[in-house]
Formats: sequence, structure tokens, C-alpha cells
Amino acid sequence: MIAVATKTSAERTSTEMRAPEGAAQAVSRTTRDRLRLAGPSVVLVALVLLVALAEPNFLSMNALAVVSAQAVPILLLGLGQMFVILTGGIDLSVAALASLATVILATVIGSLGPLAVVVTLVALTLIGALTGLLIVVGQVPSFVVSLGALGFWGAVALVASGSTTIYISEGYDAIFWLSSWTVLGLPMAVWAGVAAVAAVFCAMRFSPRGNVFHLVGLGEKAAMMSGVRTRIVRIGAFALSGFFAGAAGIVLSAQQQSAAPQLADSLLLPAIAAVLVGGCAITGGIGGAWRVLVGALVVTVLRVGGSVAGIDPSFQQIVYGAVVIVAVAVTLDRSRLSIIK
Amino acid sequence: MSTTEVTGEVTTPAEPVAPVRSTRPRVRRLLSTAGPLAALLGLCVVFAALAPGFATANNAMAIVEQAAIPVVLAMGATLVVLVGGVDLSIEGVMAASGLTFVLLAANSVNGNDLGLLAVLLALGVGLLFGVVNGVLHVVVRVPSFLVTLGTWFVGLGVATVLFGTATPQLADPSLAAWAGGHWLGLPVVVVFALAAVAVTVLLCKGTRLGMHTYAIGGDEATSRLAGVPVGRTKIILFAVAGLLSGLGGVLATIRLGVGDVSVGSGSLFLTLSAVVVGGTLLSGGRGGPLHSLVGVLLLVVLGNGLLLSGASPYIQQGAQGLIIVVAVIATGWPARSRLRVVK
Amino acid sequence: MTSLLELRNVTKKFGPNTVLDDVSLSIAPNEVVGLIGENGAGKSTLLKILAGVHRQDGGRMVLGGREVSFGSPADAADHGIGVVHQEQSLLPNLTVGQNLILGHEGDTARAGFLRRRKIRARAQEMLSVVESTVDPGALTETLGFAQRQMVEVARAVGGRQVEHPPLLILDEPTSVLEPEDVEVLHRRVTALKERGSVIFVSHRLDEVLRFSDRVYVLRDGKVVGERIASAATESELYQLMIGKGAAEEIYSSERKQAVPRTGTPTLSVRNLTCGGKAKDVSLDVHAGEIVSVVGVVDSGREEVARAVFGAVPVDSGTVEIDGQRSAPGSPADAVRSGVAYVPAERRVEGMIAGATVAQNIATVHPVKAGGGRISSGARVEETARGWIEKLGIRPADPDADIARLSGGNQQKAVVAKWILGDGLKVLVLDHPTRGLDIGAKEDLYAVFRDLSDRGVAILVLADTLDEAIGLGHRVIVMRDGEITGAFDSPPGNPPSKLQLLEKMM
Repeated sequence: MIAVATKTSAERTSTEMRAPEGAAQAVSRTTRDRLRLAGPSVVLVALVLLVALAEPNFLSMNALAVVSAQAVPILLLGLGQMFVILTGGIDLSVAALASLATVILATVIGSLGPLAVVVTLVALTLIGALTGLLIVVGQVPSFVVSLGALGFWGAVALVASGSTTIYISEGYDAIFWLSSWTVLGLPMAVWAGVAAVAAVFCAMRFSPRGNVFHLVGLGEKAAMMSGVRTRIVRIGAFALSGFFAGAAGIVLSAQQQSAAPQLADSLLLPAIAAVLVGGCAITGGIGGAWRVLVGALVVTVLRVGGSVAGIDPSFQQIVYGAVVIVAVAVTLDRSRLSIIK
Repeated sequence: MSTTEVTGEVTTPAEPVAPVRSTRPRVRRLLSTAGPLAALLGLCVVFAALAPGFATANNAMAIVEQAAIPVVLAMGATLVVLVGGVDLSIEGVMAASGLTFVLLAANSVNGNDLGLLAVLLALGVGLLFGVVNGVLHVVVRVPSFLVTLGTWFVGLGVATVLFGTATPQLADPSLAAWAGGHWLGLPVVVVFALAAVAVTVLLCKGTRLGMHTYAIGGDEATSRLAGVPVGRTKIILFAVAGLLSGLGGVLATIRLGVGDVSVGSGSLFLTLSAVVVGGTLLSGGRGGPLHSLVGVLLLVVLGNGLLLSGASPYIQQGAQGLIIVVAVIATGWPARSRLRVVK
Repeated sequence: MTSLLELRNVTKKFGPNTVLDDVSLSIAPNEVVGLIGENGAGKSTLLKILAGVHRQDGGRMVLGGREVSFGSPADAADHGIGVVHQEQSLLPNLTVGQNLILGHEGDTARAGFLRRRKIRARAQEMLSVVESTVDPGALTETLGFAQRQMVEVARAVGGRQVEHPPLLILDEPTSVLEPEDVEVLHRRVTALKERGSVIFVSHRLDEVLRFSDRVYVLRDGKVVGERIASAATESELYQLMIGKGAAEEIYSSERKQAVPRTGTPTLSVRNLTCGGKAKDVSLDVHAGEIVSVVGVVDSGREEVARAVFGAVPVDSGTVEIDGQRSAPGSPADAVRSGVAYVPAERRVEGMIAGATVAQNIATVHPVKAGGGRISSGARVEETARGWIEKLGIRPADPDADIARLSGGNQQKAVVAKWILGDGLKVLVLDHPTRGLDIGAKEDLYAVFRDLSDRGVAILVLADTLDEAIGLGHRVIVMRDGEITGAFDSPPGNPPSKLQLLEKMM
């Protein structure tokens, strides 16, 4: 009996077919990439000018300080979220974690002083890592587990705080400077935020493995098969998300001199919007720290500028929702999603 | 053709892949059907022993009433999950429909008095949101969880705009009677819940749409090749889910007595947990409305029991969060493999 | 009518490759036609055109006397062509009856409601055509493979009413069947002949001759022979398939040095059972040696290769690298031990689509590519340029999205990322030249030859027998999970393909 060495799988794989397609798509891809890069900054400038038209005082140093201070928590949440989104997932628990962070901080700052900041950051990083661990080991969708984490840790914050606002009096000197000290007219928190962005950018640019989040987002299987420890990377992304949520909580506490179990909850959508509007693709693999900064500013200007220009705050939710959908629709890389769920 | 999980695996190899032999499908199916039911019964037994006042007819009635609106919501959520998507907009749609309803019925803020028509129009609002969800997902090809994340907040925004400055109170006595009233011996909300369950079960088991739903959830690419109208089916399902969210919003508003933007607060959590815990797989194609019914009961019994045992109400939220994580990991455990990617 | 289906001068190109070249054949009503050919001969493309997945570039298709061209699989199905693929296309979570009517429910649904009895009746009807006793109410996932195949056949054949008899295409139907089930299939196919015609595609020549009335042989995209099955012999068919001409000397086989097979082998596999397919496999690869492994579908060779790389769990047995026990729990572990793997599925596992060529090349050894602990984009680019030049990657742009390159260039980049690092001990190649044009193949073979000269141990799952013989110092044959033969392949005295094929089936 003679048989033949064949495998009837498609020999001429779709790669050959895709080469001509790809060339045609190349043009539209780089144009879209350029849009993604330049677009948000243009939008930001346009928005600022629009608001300034309605209220010329908006262009003053004072206004800039207010806007940038408000932007910092969103920026920090966005930075953390960026890591997760880069790898292709999403973390719906960031805002609840930030609220929890304020509660933890307020609880221990009295006894630990500046050490409380460290404790908070460590605790949140571990919580984030736990979420990531469950997602990666269980091989389950990130949005479900992070939704569960949102509920669970939100409940922890409620219980730990007795569901009331905690006023921070003793130990406040450990963090007050974030909000009160200014350099060049901008509060320290703003500079801390910028420093964070710069640090993340440098780490990604100058470390040999700096682009590992992007790689995992673009092709997790191929990255895995190239020896990248993708599970660690994804857990790390969630750990970073927790870390930055902690940082956001600390800044919020400094700004409001208080903690509350749902203080940051409303910042979830602005944080996601900041990441997407800034030009990071929801499908993963594309994005960077400066883009999140631009996105956070756009989102904050939308918020603040709306009231400054006299727009009804209740419309903000609608605008956010629409902005998220539009940003995603534009930046979504459909060539990599053959089935959209 | 490997199916992508929800927002999950994004790669589809063009080469044919050897058929995946499902590991003991009978055992898995048995577990997913009997497991939650067993857990529910187990919980009832535990609470009957530990919580004072749990095992009474009155409490049972209270549980059923409390479960009614979540059941309505869960039916819609189940349909969307069966086809492989997810609907996060529940709370926003509830708010928008609820406000629409209360402002169209006799209320304390304006002169409208549309009665039953107000209910129907509010349902229409829900339907509209659902259609928008479906169309954006299918036509613009945005992942469902992102579309519905957006419409969630759009819905809340619409409700806030409608709310205006003064709290609108429901002033229609016949509609307000739905809150405490009875039809055919059962509380009105329970009747609605039973109707919702019946309709959804009928849809899933007895209609072509239902068969297509399960097919798409089982393997979307294969279904498409077989000639199933995938896009149309999905839009219809999202629309129905929106309608049911609207119904939930109306019923919740009647119970509350006033229009409130946060009328649906916490519903997403409860509903999604119920669907997952009940055994409907997030990847689609498995489970169904009856599974979700058990899931809702399980969670409501849990909350009720905890409350009667003296636990803080926040524990309930924490427990729900924990359960959703445990349930999704447990139901997904058999499918794990070394190189699998799920986002 | 004289013929049910006629293909006249059908041509199909993918990019620069002509996959089907002036193919003409005809199928009469009520006959079974076999279609055979080596890997890469164009069989599956031909089937895809018939099934409506692709459209031909040139030539005409005449079905039932009318010229046709299919825009989609549904189109082909509507014209009475049914395909049963190797991979199953039934929904496991639906019942048999539902699967049979899915997509063309017709009168089994009235006003949107399913009519249970109608579905059952129609299902029974369709199943009886293939004499299947499967219960239409059973859940599809509870059926065995052979039963599911029958349901697929029933679905493919039944349903659409067209003026001409239906045409059923069976693509490798027997590769996963037990012998008894093959018997059953044979009876059914014979019975089906009365209703319509069947195209039977298989790599098992004995079965093809048994099932078919006539056989067409494809080679390099052309029809090279047509025989009456009852009058043909396997060796005759085989000769047609592989052709007379000697394989082009692209494997640089004259450069093959004799490899001293002494001392500890670089790669040593002992009693490896893994992936549900490979059983008790043992083989050695010494430094500088190239070992080719050949085998048909389900031979287990892919599982062995992937187990060495940690991509598939090991059930029992050991893998040793340079005498050290290696238990790679993941590809990352394997990489640390000095193992590299070039996968068959390049698009999904080999390259990171969307990343640049430079980023892809730097993926495995980023420190080396970036010039140290502090990386710089410029250094990575420089490294990439070096490899682009060395391997002849075109376009020579390190910043290009790798997805835009042709298959051959992509594969070169994939190989570059592995050989960039020091410490490469074992290179596992899984169908490395599948789908590549001849120029790219030649380039890659030269690279592999260089590596072998440098002392890297290479394990290659060859695409074709020519490749296995030309490239390897030794050729190992696997069948049904076990090693059935091993041949030395020194230059000037290679084993014959016949010898290999005997061991493969």
C-alpha cells in the first residue's frame, strides 16, 4: 500500500493572498496611523480654543493650573489602563481601586505618615496583580474578572470606611504638598504626573524589553512562541494598573484632603476615554504614554471646558459615551479581528 | 477556525484545524445544568439552618418578588450572551426608560397622563437603545462590550437630562398599584417576570431565531458559512435585550415611585453575575434563560440569607463580585490549554 | 447530459505563484472521481474553487450544462455542490436535525417557529439517503467522528433541489477513520453514486482506487494523468504524482558533510508520548546534523516537534538538550535551553503582524539586538538591517510592517530572530518552506546548511519528500504516532521516495 506525503491543509496559505491586499491597505494604514498620532493633539488645541472663545479667561495660568490638576487623576488612571489595553485586555476596576486607595491611605496615614503612601501603592499593586493572575491562569475574559474585582474591592472600600467620607487631618502633611506646592504655577501633582509619563516613556523606549506590552497586544501567540513570558507580561500590566490606581487615589486624597469609598468611581469612563481618544487602539498593540497624556487633557478640557462654556453637566455623560464609541470605531484595527464579539 | 472568546482570541488560522474533542461533553453539560441548581438548594438548606426567618412562606414570597426585576433583565442579558456578546448598557437603558415612563405618565412635574401608553413608549425607548447597540456592533463592527459601555453612559446622560431639576413623582394610581398589587394571585412584577421567562424560553427553544442564536454562539464562522443571517440575528437580540431592560426600568421606577437616574444601580452586576453563575457560557452557545433564572435565584437567596444572618449590605456586593469571578473561572476551567489566548 | 461537471482550462494564481495551470477535467453523472496529488499540487485550491471559496482567474466551469462561477460557499451549495471537509463544520451544541436544516430551514419553520416534527421528518429523510441511523434529536457533540461525518455528508447531499444531480466532494474523509468505518463509508459512497457524483480526495492511493471509477492526478498545478481506476496501479499513480525529473538541486545537498554521530547528542528524545498523537518516540540529533521527519496527517511528528519546544505538554518520556534534562513547561523555558522553533502557522505563531520587521527580528533576543542593557531604536534598526541584507529580505526596510511582506520574506525575518542570538543549540523547523516561492526556499535552505555547518542541531518537519531527502542527513518516518523507519541520506546515495512512502502508510 503506497500513500503520499501530503497534508491537505491549505498550502498556499492566505499569506500569499494577503500580500497584494496588504500593499493596498498599506496606504490607508499609515494614514490612519498618522491620524492616530496627530489627531488628538489637534483636537486638544481646537477644544482649548473653542472654550477660550466662549470664556477668554480660560487661557490664563490660573485656568491651566486648575485644568491640569484635575487631569492628573485621570492621567494616572489612564496610564495604568494603558498597559492593560496595550496587551489587549481591559480593567474595569481601576476607578474602584483608586477609591479603595484613598480609604487605605486615610486609614493608615495617621499612624504611618509618609510610609502610608508606600503601603497604599504596594497594596494596590498586589491587588492588581491578583486580578491579572486570575485572568491569566483562568484564561477568562478580562472584562468579567475586572468587573468582579470592581464589585469586590468596592465593597471592601465601603466596609473599611464604614461607607462615609474620612477626613484626613493627622498625617496630611505627608501628602498635602502634592496639591499645595506649586512650581511655575502648577501644583506638584501635575509635575508628578508629567514625571510619571516621562518615566513610562523612557522605560518603554530605552529598555530592551520596553515594547513587550505592544508585542503581546499585537500577537500574543506569536510572542509566546518567541519565548516572551506573555503571562507574566499580562499580570504585570494589571499590577501596573493597580499601582497607578493607587497613585491616582493618593493624588485625589491630597487634593480633597479626604477619602471616600466611591470617590473615584465616576472616573472610570473618563480614564478609558483618555486612553482611547489619545490614540491607543482598543485592540491593543498601539499606544504610548504621551498619547495618554494628550487624551487625559482632552477629556479634562471636555469636562471643565463644558461647564466653563456654560454647557449643561448632564450632557457630559452622553458626550463621554459617544466619544468612547467614536474613538474606538476610528482606532479599532479591524484587520486583526476577523470575528468581533 | 477557532472561535474567539468574548473580546478574546483574535486569530483565526486559515488552515483547517483538527476537530477539538470536547472533554466528556455529557459530564460538562450535566455540571453546568445541575451545578447551579444544586448550589441553590444547598444555599437554601444552609440559610434555613443558620438564618432566622429564612425558611418562611413570607420570606419565600419576598425572595421571589425581589428576584422578579433581575429575572426580566437577565432574560435579555442571556440572549445577548448566548450569541457571544455582552450588554453592559442595562443600567443606562433602565434609567432612560424609567425617566421617560414617569414623565409621560401622570406625574408631579408636568401635565402628561398617558397611562399604559407611557409604559409602551418607555419600552420603545429601551428597544431603540437596543437597536443602536446592535447596529453599532454589527455594522460599525465595534466590540459589543465597548458599544454597550458607551450606551450605558449615554443612557444615564439622557436620563439626567430628562430628570431636570425636580424629582418627578409617579401620580398615576393604577400604574402605581403595580408595585404592591396582584394579578392572578401573584405580585404584578412576578407576573411580568414569568412572562419574560416564558417568552425567552419559547424564543430560544421553539423559534428559528433561537436556533440561529445558539448556532452563532456555538461557532459564528461556521454559522455564517451555513447561511445563518448573523448580523440580523444579533441586532434583533440586542433589540430585545434593550426592550427587556426598558421593562425592568419601568417596573423599578414604579416600585420606587419616583423617577431616578440611579434606578438601575447595581443591576449590571447582579444580572451579569446571574447569567455567568447560572451556567450560560460567555463564549456563547451554551446555557439559556432557565439557567439564568436559577442564577438570579441563587444570588437573591444569597443576599437575602446574608441579610437575615445579620451581615452588612456591602458584604453582599463583595460576595457578588467574588461569585462572578469564581463562576467564570470554574465554568471556563475545562477549556484551558497551554497556548490558549483569551483577552 | 454528457458530463455533470466540466472544468476547462481553469487557472488560479496567488500573487506570483500559479497554483492551478490550465486544468481541465470532467465528471460524469453517477460516477466517483478520485483526485490525488502531492502537497502543493493544487488539490485544495481546486476544491476551494469548486466549493465557492475562491474564484478562478481563468478558464470556465460548466455545471449541469450551464456555465457557473461561484461567489461564495452558499452560492456553490445552492448549485448542488456539497463539500465535506476534513475539519468538521457542524455546530456541536445543536442537535443533528438542527444541523441538517440550518441555513435553509424552508418549511421546517413557519412564521419563525420551528416545527419539530417537520424537522425530524426532513432530517430522517436526509439521513436515510446516506443510510445513517443517527437519531436526529441527538446533540451533535455526543456523536462519534464517523457518525458526524455521515451527518455532514447527509447535509452536503440533501436539501437543495437543482435540475442536475448533486455533486459531493469528500476531502480526506478517511484519515481519521477506523478501518470498519472506512468500510461503511465505502458502502455509502457506492450507494450515493446512484443519486449523483462524488469527488474523492485522499492521500491514500489504495482507497482512492477502491472508491473511484476514474482518477485524476495533479502535479504542480497541472493535470498530468487520468486513469480508469480498475485498470490503474498504485505505483503508476505514484510515478505520475512525483514526476520523472530529478528534484532541482536547491538543497545544497552536495555540501552535506558526514556528521560524526558520537558523543552526547545535542537533542535527545526518549520514549516521548505527547499531544495525544505521538507514542513512545525516541530520536537523536547531533550537533551539525539535520534530521528530517516525514509523515502524513496524524503521524505525530508535529506534536513531537512542539513538545521539544514546550508548546505541547509531555505526557511521558524525556527531552534532553546536551545531556541536560529539559522539561520545557513553556516556550520561554525552551528558549532558555537554546531551542528555537519556526512554526508552520507563520501568520499566527511565527510573526507578530502589525509590528515592524525590526521589532520582529528583535523579539527573541532583545538585548543582543538592541546592543545592551540600554536599548536604542537605532541599534535595533542597525541589527535588523544587517539581517535583512544577509538573508535578502525585500523590501529592505526595517520599519515596514511585517504583514506587508511576502511569505518568503516574512519567513526569513522569522528565522532571523532565532539565529540572531548566541547559544542556539537546537533549531526545530515545522514546514519551514510551506507556501514559499522557489527563490525564498533556496535562500532558506542555504541558511539551514550554514547553521548545520556551524554545529546547530536541526530537526525539520519536511513539506515534501524531496525536501526531506535533500536537506537531511537522516530521514525519519513516522506513522500513527510511532517511528516506522529511519534512513541515512548522504549525498549521492539518498533513499528513494518509494522506500519512505512504504513506511509512511
